[in-house]
This record gives sequence, structure tokens and C-alpha cells, in this order.
Amino acid sequence: MGRQLTGYAAAVRLGWAVSSNWTRPLLFVVYSVLRPISMALILAVMYTVVTGNAAATRPYLAFLIIGTAFWSFIQEGVSEFATGILEDRGRYHILKYSYMAPLGFPIFLVGRATSKLASAAASVVIVLVVGTVALHLDIDPLRINYPLLVAACLLAFVSVIAFAITLSMVLLAGKDTHGYGEIMAQFLYLFSGAIFPISVLPGPIAWLASLSPLPYWLELCRRAILHGRVYQMFPEISDTEVLLRLLVATAGTVLLGYFLYRLTDRRARRLGYIDMEANW
Amino acid sequence: MIAEQRFNVSPLRIFFKTIVARAYPRVVAANRQKTWLFFDMAFPVVGALAMVLVYQGLHAPRQYLGFVIMGGAMLAFWQNVLWSMAAQFSWDRGNGTLELYVISPTTFEGVLLGMALGSMFTVTLRAGAILLVGSLFFGITYAAGGTLPAIGVFLLTLAALYCLGMLLASLFLFYGREAWHLSNAMQEPINFLSGLYFPVHALGAYVGGAASLVPMTLGLDAMRQLLLPGTPVFIPAGTETLLVAAQIPIFALLAGISLRYMESRARADGKLVTRWE
Repeated sequence: MGRQLTGYAAAVRLGWAVSSNWTRPLLFVVYSVLRPISMALILAVMYTVVTGNAAATRPYLAFLIIGTAFWSFIQEGVSEFATGILEDRGRYHILKYSYMAPLGFPIFLVGRATSKLASAAASVVIVLVVGTVALHLDIDPLRINYPLLVAACLLAFVSVIAFAITLSMVLLAGKDTHGYGEIMAQFLYLFSGAIFPISVLPGPIAWLASLSPLPYWLELCRRAILHGRVYQMFPEISDTEVLLRLLVATAGTVLLGYFLYRLTDRRARRLGYIDMEANW
Repeated sequence: MIAEQRFNVSPLRIFFKTIVARAYPRVVAANRQKTWLFFDMAFPVVGALAMVLVYQGLHAPRQYLGFVIMGGAMLAFWQNVLWSMAAQFSWDRGNGTLELYVISPTTFEGVLLGMALGSMFTVTLRAGAILLVGSLFFGITYAAGGTLPAIGVFLLTLAALYCLGMLLASLFLFYGREAWHLSNAMQEPINFLSGLYFPVHALGAYVGGAASLVPMTLGLDAMRQLLLPGTPVFIPAGTETLLVAAQIPIFALLAGISLRYMESRARADGKLVTRWE
């Protein structure tokens, strides 16, 4: 157990170093928040252009900004993580050593994913602060339902990590899959209720989206931060019921991820994907 | 005698042969590699689709969907400029091609122009597909009378955009791991500043004016004014066209100066052959 923890901590440190040591810390922070802030500004301008910033539509602006802020976890946890694993193999040629290390490959992957989620946390906070100050969202840190927010985020992180690990194992099969993590994050963007309610989607796709843990997670984040003063995707169900749905969807994601991981891992070993020369 | 003739090829001929040689893989290989085809089209389509659904969630007029589809098509070019022009020398250095460019009798300008022309052709086909499918799917109509002027503005915008790409390529010559992050960092802020998904008018005079340094901002706004009547006017389309046309020689000149300077610095610092940074 001690060795596993040490290995996990080393993987987190490695992930953090690879993500951040290409520049100075301050520039890294600016880089980390550029994308989510720009995204939030795009949505804020689109909202203003259409609604004229009418008071009656303010809950929808809060919906957009909170969804965009928390999306950083998916961006980092899925897209950046998958890119990182593919870089480890194709660019730095270190993935095979991580695989051979005694701590167990899944622990290494979970450690790398943890560092990505940790680096996203700063941008979530900064986007929310910018939203509060510049866009006058009614966010009060003293009125946030922290237990609900933490419970929702922990469950979501478990499912994001499970999904990201499975995705990166699948992507190892390709020689030129760099960028596919980004595409996958964009697809999730459509089905997560981050910037529009999933009810806007066509019927069967909306139903598929309702199987994902992401809409429930984002709904709980919004309710925890601005309960009653934000547009709700599931107004007819209580916080507890949304949490329960998140729990079930997370369990399903982890279970499916586990089977797919076993399958792709066996295939990767058999076909030599772990140390395959990718065209970097 | 034959060998002597071979070495007496004029520099101009080498320059044009370089352009053709560098454009060739951009046109042929890019279509041979099916995963790139998917990637080049999926990213702008998914991004545009997300924004269309946001507008639908806001119950916006149909005209706004046209803004998004046109923005999505232009996004394909900006993506290409960032990843296949600006960051290209960084990838080339990593795989050892950059040093071959340097010891060959050609110029960086020829290589970059070849990359730009090849990319323009390939991405225009893909952006056209995005525009066509998006417009048909969401039932967007355009003003027929504005089509020819819009094509003219589009060609000028492309020329200016790829000259900017050449300038960025020279600036990125020094970067290793940073090149990837810089391209990444320039994506979403430029999407915002150039008004890819909303009329530039909404940014106001100062922000919109600053954003006009990116040719896509003015070019896209002019094309929207010509093709989607009722687009809020930032600057009249004629003036925007003139400004975009003026950006072409400016960016080309700056790219040439920057290339010379960065190349000499890179030679002095041994950066042309550095790998695995």
C-alpha cells in the first residue's frame, strides 16, 4: 500500500511537471485561464447580443458561466490527459517504463489524471470570480452549499478519470491519434449540458445524454452555487435525486470503463501498442 | 557538363519548385491520411454545432445560426494557420526536416508559401463542406447578390491570414514544447476576439479595433455583411476589404524580416537542430 501511494504521488508530480514546467509559474496560470475565460466571454457576448442582458434571462447567463467554468475539469481531465499519455509514448518514449514499473499502470494513470484535475481547479475558481465581478453574477462564497458541491465533484472526478483512462488506452491503438482527446472533449461538451440544457438536443440524443453523469454533476454544481437563482435542467427533481442519478451514472461509467480498460490493455500488450513508434 | 547544368538552375526556378514540392504533401498526403480529414472537419463542426445549440437555447433569430456556420467554416482556416503553419517548423525540427530545409539551396519563404498554398486548397474544400452541410442542415439562406464580392473578400482574407501564419511560423522557430501550448493558447481568445460566433459589432470599437489585427475579424465581418443582410455593421464592408488587402503586404514583409532575424539567431544558438525539447 505504501509503495502504491508513493507511486501515485510520483505520477501526480510527473503530471504536474510535464504540464507546467515549460514556462514560468505566472505565465502558466495565465495560459491555464485563457481558454475558459475566452469561452465564458464568447458565451456572455452571445447571450447579450440575443437577450440584451434582460433581467428575466439572468439565470440563463449564470447557467452558461458556471457550466463553462466547471468544464475546465473535463478539458484538462479528458483532452489534456489523453494528449499527455500519447506524448509519453510517442514524443518522450517513457510510457513503456511507466508500464513496467512495479506500482501498477492504472495507479500511474490515475496519478497523471489527478494532476490534470488539480491544475483545472485554479481556472474554475478564476472564471467564477471573473463571472461574479465582470458579469455581476450573484455568487456569494458564504452561501455556497459546499457539501453538495464537493460530493458532486468527487463523483464526477471518478467518472472523468475512468472515462479518460479508457479513452487514452483506446487511442493508443492509433499512430496518429493526437488531437482526438480534444475532439472527444468537444463531443462531451454537446452532451453534458455545459452550455445548453440537454433538452435542446433531439430526442434520442437527449436520452443518451441523460445516461451520462456530466449533466447531473453540472446541475448540482449550479444548484450548490446559486440555488434557485440559476436556470435548472431538471427543475422537477430534488437535489438528492439528482445526486442519486449522478451516483448511478458514475457507477455505470466506472464499470464500463473497467471492462473496456481490461480489453484495450490486453489488446495493447498483444499488438505492441505500449511502445509503438507513433509518428510524432 | 550535365552536372554543371544541374547546378545552374536559377534561384527563381528553385523558389517555385520549392513551393510546388512543399504544397504537394499538403494537398495529397492530407487527403490520403483519413484521420486528418476527420480531425480537420470534426473540430470546427462540433464547435459550431455547440454554438448553434446555445443560440437555439436562447431562442435566437435564425440569422444568428448563419453567423455560427460561417464562423465554423473560418475556424477551419484559423486552426490550420495555428497548427499547420505557425507550429509547423517546431514539428519539423522535432522530426529532423528543418535542418534539411536549411542545408538545401532554397529559402524558408518558398517552403512557407508552399505550405500556405497547399493548406489553402485543402482547407477550402473542407470549409466548403462545413458551410454547405451546416447551411443545408439548419436551413440558412444567403444573399445571392453578395456571393461574388464575398468570394473576393474571402480570397483576400485567406492571403492575409496565411501571411500572418508565416509571420507566426518564424516567431515559433525557437520554441519546443512551448509551440504546442502557444498554439493552444491562441485558439479560444482569437475565436472570441474575431467574433467567430457573433457579430464583431458586439465587441465595441476598442476591442473590435484591436481584434482587427487578425485578418479573420474584418474578413469574416465583411463576408457576413455581404451574405447575411441585416448583420450589425462594425465597419462598412468596403473599408474592411481595403484594410484586409493592406494587411497582406504588411504581414508578408514582417514575416520576411522576422524569418531572417530568427533564422540567424537560431543558427547562432544552435536551435535549428535541437530535438526532444
